[in-house]
Amino acid sequence: MTTAPALTKELLVQILAEYGEREANEIAERVDSLELAWLVHSLEERYGLKLDLDDVQLARMTTLDDALAILGKARRHIPRKPVVVTGLSVTTAFGRGLEALRQGLAAGQPAFGPVTRFEVGKRRVDRAATLPGDPNLIDEVTDAVTQAIGQAGLGPGTTARTPLLFARHADQAPPRLTLPEHHAQAPHTSGTQIAKQCGLRDAARTYTNACVAASSAIADAAALISAGREERVVVAAGYFVDADTYALFDAGRALATDGHLRSFSQDRKGLLLGDGLGAVVLESTESAAARGAAPITELLGWGRAGDAFHVCQPHPEGLGMAAAIEAALGRAELTPDGIGYINAHGTGTPLNDSAETAAIRRAFGEAARTVPVSSTKSLHGHALEASGVVELAVSVLALQEGTVPVNAGYLGPDPACRLNLVVDAPRRVAAQAVLSLNAAFGGANTALVLGAVAA
Amino acid sequence: MTEVSVAGLSVLSRADWPEAGDNPVKGPPSLAGFVVSSFAPLAAEAAERCLKRAYGEAPAQPGRERRTAVLVVSKAGDTATERAVARAVDAGRSVQPLLFFQSVPNAVMGYVAKRWGLVGPVVCLSPAGDPEQEALATADLLLLDDAADDALIVLLELAAEDGAHDTATALLVGPDIANEVEA
Repeated sequence: MTTAPALTKELLVQILAEYGEREANEIAERVDSLELAWLVHSLEERYGLKLDLDDVQLARMTTLDDALAILGKARRHIPRKPVVVTGLSVTTAFGRGLEALRQGLAAGQPAFGPVTRFEVGKRRVDRAATLPGDPNLIDEVTDAVTQAIGQAGLGPGTTARTPLLFARHADQAPPRLTLPEHHAQAPHTSGTQIAKQCGLRDAARTYTNACVAASSAIADAAALISAGREERVVVAAGYFVDADTYALFDAGRALATDGHLRSFSQDRKGLLLGDGLGAVVLESTESAAARGAAPITELLGWGRAGDAFHVCQPHPEGLGMAAAIEAALGRAELTPDGIGYINAHGTGTPLNDSAETAAIRRAFGEAARTVPVSSTKSLHGHALEASGVVELAVSVLALQEGTVPVNAGYLGPDPACRLNLVVDAPRRVAAQAVLSLNAAFGGANTALVLGAVAA
Repeated sequence: MTEVSVAGLSVLSRADWPEAGDNPVKGPPSLAGFVVSSFAPLAAEAAERCLKRAYGEAPAQPGRERRTAVLVVSKAGDTATERAVARAVDAGRSVQPLLFFQSVPNAVMGYVAKRWGLVGPVVCLSPAGDPEQEALATADLLLLDDAADDALIVLLELAAEDGAHDTATALLVGPDIANEVEA
């Protein structure tokens, strides 16, 4: 056992104050004969903490800074409130609502077709997965939020206490206004507009970090709820294929010139854009139970990490994505064997898919050989900022249906993408937990673990 | 002595653009690979100054042990890039390929993160209220959630009218241990 001569009674009282004054004083009264191992055990027993301090860490607790750093970090392992989803609405090119997505995934036929929403005659590629016509994104997201709130059974009073975290792609209307008007119509204004129309408390922040925007918002919502800072949070996100973004992706040669999004396949040429939006109501398990609300899924884990590698390329060894996966699995207290399906980011670009494969293999080890993987972007297209919420809906369907969707457009194996891909047709898999992955420019990576709930 | 933010985080270092000696009209130093807009150069310059004040020179071989989150917080975002794309599309011209790579605010942070070994979450926000307070609240949440050990925050806005100049502030924030003890 390691004793702590430098830890005085006064110091311990100071450290332990954060765990409650009365208890701290009780512990501190025994400080003269105190062994640090006993202290750690006492803290774990009394306050349900998981300090997980080993002998090396105990030995380091001999100065103020060390003790504070170790105990301060340990405090973060205070058990969190479980988080569930009680409302979910989604729209893709397959149609409006979860049922339309379910049917689209079951059919396994990509939703891509010629772009008619705007002029693409000068572009290298002319295909995307779009809804008919030119629908209004904010109106549609507002409808989705309203439906998700309705499914969750939130009354007006509860809704008025609930914040919205919104994620969106840049609107192409403001850049065509004067510069002051452009600035006045900043992305956060649409989040505030949706929150107001839906009777939500506020929309303090709108996520703009590209393809991880929605998944980042979901992770932050879960963090707020699990830490007890919010009882429930609504997350919404949306992207509709537009002329400016299409021109950008075309100029960057990111679009698949063969008109197919072939995730993880040999001869994959790139991505295709797709309409997508959705809304999710997340809340603590205890809050949902108190309302008698039936959970749709449990958000078991979430992880976020950076590549620190490049402006627009993923780390070729998938280091950031692997770290995000490991964080999500750790929070879910699952080993890779506990994941029954991975809904991959799988953009169909050569660099993304090989890097993501490396990440999955790094984080999953041997289990990477057996876990079924598909990217449903090959069916509904890349919904950019809305990807996280659209693919959360796909993951929920995989859990509910006991069927994992196909990785469409597959031509054959690429040695850089050795995964157990779901090709040809959807596959029956009775998954109890699934993993949804997203990545973005700047080396941003997210991982969400969703769990099945009793029907 | 470190400054303590309203959110209860220690502000380890801070930098602004412009500072004394800067030329707001000329703007920040250009950044290779980024064109048309000063958004990315501004973010990179503010981040560089802030990190240098905290750590000195950038590490030759950045490690992955310390998880520093990266937050880009801007109400309006990169309006200059958006306007350049809109002009090209409306004129029926091709868009410059480089604009694709800088079309999202997180892109430039890939450059900063590689240079300094920042491997925490990468988050970009358009805040409805005070940008610094929203950024600090977000950083605090990431630390509370054990997603990061500390956070680099870059607050920036491009000029909203002719004759005005761009502004940026970068902050490196970490847990306020003293405040935790007193809590």
